[in-house]
Amino acid sequence: MKKLALLLSLAFLFAACPDAALAAADKGEVVVYNWSEYIPQDVLDEFTDETGIKVVYSTYETNDAMYSKIKLLRGQSYDLVCPSTYYLHLMIEEGLVTTFDHAKLTNLGNLDPKLMAPPYDPENKFSIPYMWGSFGMIINTKYVDREKAKTWRDLLRPEYKGKVILSDDMRDTFGIAMHAAGKSANSTNPDDIKAGYEFLKELHPSVRVFDLTAVKQAFISEEVIIGTSFNGDALVAKQEHPDLEYIYPEDGALVWIDSFAIPVGAKNVDNAHEFVNFLLRPEIAKRCQEEFMYSTPNLGTIELMSPEERNNPALQPTDKDLQKAEYLLNVGSKTLMLYKDYWEKLKSGF
Amino acid sequence: MQANNRFRLFSISSVWLWLGLFALLPNLALFLVSFLDRGETDFFIPVFTLDNYSRLLDPAFIRIFWDSMYLASISTLVCLLLGYPFAYLLARSSKRMRPWLMLLVVVPFWTNSLIRTYALIIILKTQGLINKLFIWLGLADGPFSLMYSDFAVFMGLTYTLLPFMILPLYASIEKLDVRLLDAAKDLGAGTLRSFWHVTLPLTLPGIVAGSILVFLPALGTFYVPEILGGATNMLLGTFIKNQFLVARDWPLGAAASTILTLLLVLLALIYRMSSRKAAETPLTEKGKKKGAADA
Repeated sequence: MKKLALLLSLAFLFAACPDAALAAADKGEVVVYNWSEYIPQDVLDEFTDETGIKVVYSTYETNDAMYSKIKLLRGQSYDLVCPSTYYLHLMIEEGLVTTFDHAKLTNLGNLDPKLMAPPYDPENKFSIPYMWGSFGMIINTKYVDREKAKTWRDLLRPEYKGKVILSDDMRDTFGIAMHAAGKSANSTNPDDIKAGYEFLKELHPSVRVFDLTAVKQAFISEEVIIGTSFNGDALVAKQEHPDLEYIYPEDGALVWIDSFAIPVGAKNVDNAHEFVNFLLRPEIAKRCQEEFMYSTPNLGTIELMSPEERNNPALQPTDKDLQKAEYLLNVGSKTLMLYKDYWEKLKSGF
Repeated sequence: MQANNRFRLFSISSVWLWLGLFALLPNLALFLVSFLDRGETDFFIPVFTLDNYSRLLDPAFIRIFWDSMYLASISTLVCLLLGYPFAYLLARSSKRMRPWLMLLVVVPFWTNSLIRTYALIIILKTQGLINKLFIWLGLADGPFSLMYSDFAVFMGLTYTLLPFMILPLYASIEKLDVRLLDAAKDLGAGTLRSFWHVTLPLTLPGIVAGSILVFLPALGTFYVPEILGGATNMLLGTFIKNQFLVARDWPLGAAASTILTLLLVLLALIYRMSSRKAAETPLTEKGKKKGAADA
């Protein structure tokens, strides 16, 4: 008899579950798939408190992982994703994302026109910028002379041997290598890519580590003294190690924009709009920006900043800083294979 | 009795269902994809090709494969050399102590291995725990770092995989009949000799099982070498991961992964052979009984 009671109560428990889920669905939810360390938890909580919309939040570490998942799910299951330039380009080309209704985004006017209408989405139909930043050079000024770290080619200097860190992201690292070789980071010309590879091959003996997630740690504990970094990581690391400095190399940094996009199979499109519109508020965008130290595309947020922050080139680069900088664009699968072959060659010592 | 039968049917079929759904099916899918072509916009297209396997003959891949084999072999050897005495002591310790010692082996499993790998950074880095200890002991005069080196990778792999070596070794050493060792002693064999001729052959299945359990993950784990080794050289796990994620070349990744699976099958065959051999050793009564039952 006891067993029966237990079974019954279990059955009730299972029967009750769908009801609970339905109740949540009444208020609505928004399923967000975003980079890790990108929106502070209290901002998410505030959104739910204010609108009653539950935020189901999951994160990824690389564009590659996000793209594979969205593609396998054929754009279903998530209401918002946040791809970077070249992956957004690819997802638009492959029809994996759908359009925004600009009329529902009342705060859209806050965004910096300079960062709107990128080459892959000229009317911002598919993408609303969330954060942007650059991929440049970081040095430890205790060991590295600023005059000897002006271009990517300076990484080859013998005094940095064994003290260099590069990103383990193939496109990012090839991007700066192509710049070092005086080529465009989006070139599909095999000779240009070979030139980039030659640079990396020459640099490889100097490289201590290829890294994706622990750049800050490697600089703070002085395992490395020069290398590539996102501006946000560099600024966060500088808070713990004041000798660190972020630099825009003269042969050109890379610039990225992470934008929100709605996968084609999204179920809660209205809630997705509401969520994006919420994040476009200057004071909310300020909180996101402060926490992770990337650059904000929100002009209202920039007005809220202290003059010191506003004039920090690592946070708000000048036009001169970005003179030769480039966005990474989708180069197509043939060129990507070429990159990959060179990348494997590089890492297996051929 | 009937309820018992139903339970048996239920438990056996659920195990088969589980294995079929989560082990056989994915591997079968992977095997199939390894013979398909890659599409311009699709991960794979249904066109038969052997191209993926011939692409693996590239010298870069062969180098990656050997580097990984080397790393996995050394890690397995280190695990065996550390794990065998550990398991031996464990099996020979008092009955009261054993569960506690066993608990200590298993406790690290309660924390995610990725987190434990990151924790190793704190121990290995410049100004890390090892560095500070050496300076305090006067063995080093300044900061040095063990991070981003082969040593760090070996340490990470050994640390993560050691329990997989200890547990099967413990199981086979515990089963070892002590009377056989007494008999060897009575017949005049020294400690070394009785270890070599009695203990070692009888615990061979444990050694092989532990080695397989360590070798294969060591070959495939990509995050330990990436985090601790600095990823300046590519290994098999990273290679496969990159085909699926970065290069979007699923068929090639599937082919590399299939090779790994074949290696597993080969090792499983070796394991079977070794346990047969141990069972056939005329020294054991168990072996004789088992042999009789088989016949």
